[in-house]
Amino acid sequence: MSWLAEAWAIFAKEWRCELRTRYALNTVGLFAFTTLVTVSLTVGPVGSSEEMRPILPTLLWLVLLFAASAGLPRTFVHEEETKSADALRLAADPSALFCGKVLYNLSLIVLLEILVVPLFLGMLGLEVASPVDLLLAMAAGGAGLAVGSTLIAAIVGQARARGPLFAVLAFPVLLPLLKLAIDASLGAVLGEPAQMAIMLSFLYDSMLMVAGLMLFPAIWNP
Amino acid sequence: MSDGTDQGPEHFLGFEGLRRGFGRLEVLRDVSGHAAAGEVLLVTGPNGCGKSTLLRCLAGLVRPQRGTIDCRVDRRDLDTAARRRALGFLSPDLELWGELTTFENLEFVGRLRRVGPERGAELLDRLGLPHDRPAAALSSGMRQRLRWAFALLHRPAVLLLDEPLQNLDAPGRRDVLALLQEHLETGLAVVANPESVDVPGVERHLELAG
Repeated sequence: MSWLAEAWAIFAKEWRCELRTRYALNTVGLFAFTTLVTVSLTVGPVGSSEEMRPILPTLLWLVLLFAASAGLPRTFVHEEETKSADALRLAADPSALFCGKVLYNLSLIVLLEILVVPLFLGMLGLEVASPVDLLLAMAAGGAGLAVGSTLIAAIVGQARARGPLFAVLAFPVLLPLLKLAIDASLGAVLGEPAQMAIMLSFLYDSMLMVAGLMLFPAIWNP
Repeated sequence: MSDGTDQGPEHFLGFEGLRRGFGRLEVLRDVSGHAAAGEVLLVTGPNGCGKSTLLRCLAGLVRPQRGTIDCRVDRRDLDTAARRRALGFLSPDLELWGELTTFENLEFVGRLRRVGPERGAELLDRLGLPHDRPAAALSSGMRQRLRWAFALLHRPAVLLLDEPLQNLDAPGRRDVLALLQEHLETGLAVVANPESVDVPGVERHLELAG
């Protein structure tokens, strides 16, 4: 119970700080809006085109990935830069800290998906054959994005050359997840079986979470 | 089979043959010392001699390359992870969250350390800090007082204090030294400062060479 309270305290602190600076909300929101408008102006309302429909779930996940990448890597970097990371190292249980940060990143991604997905479907005129499957694909992909980004952000926070590191480390970790999320979303859009891709996505999320819980204490502490 | 307890001093911190370098630069070389309950170990030496590195090693924030650290709290040996959470640590390199008020900072840390918010409020009052000012808007002296509150929040048995009187005015020094005096009734402290400093309970002195 106290472990849960610790994780919750970290989650609440993250949101309290975020609502005062609005850094991640503004960055992620603006990035999502810009990429959405760019995609919709370039591609147009092609959702009914049989040729274009299979490409659109990939575009949707690219929008989500780039918008999330603008805000999520900051998770631990901000604390390293403002010298408050040591206070967390001294006071927090590493696994509770990791879970609190994952929860915060997950909530940011859920907000991002709530903002982006309906707008994307509307602006591109895309009809979804199986909304439930799309919802599950978004949940599985979003959860993986949150866990993977948190773990990578912890590694990036320890590095001196932080600039390109997130992209370099994210590529092998997030690529399988994106492939599965795109496959699941494609199945949902076209009305084809998506359950296997959704199940594998959740499995990959679980593996990332277990790996994160095992690796994080070693990454976070000397 | 030992359960990690014995009949030695209730609280004890000792270190033997500590070594730590950064690249080719060797900062600590075979450093040893100890302090028991009620005592202060004063560590002095010029800038760059490794005082802060020593305290970070003792706090579990930096891993020594050689040597041993023996930390006992309530006659129980602590490993590095337990030591990191049990000790009170103050350093000029440690900041709290600028977006949160002083009270919110201590309330948050108190939740992690399983301490009620009233303890944070009590320390803020004793250190003369406003409750509702964002930490980012504090003066350097007030930030130092907040670091004291962070270090003492969970009533640690062992305090590690790196330049504890930095930026404090006369009333601030009086307040923190009174808190240190109270702490020494049961606990111990390691104080690092460039020069010798007038703190209560100094029983041992370790001078690091530059």
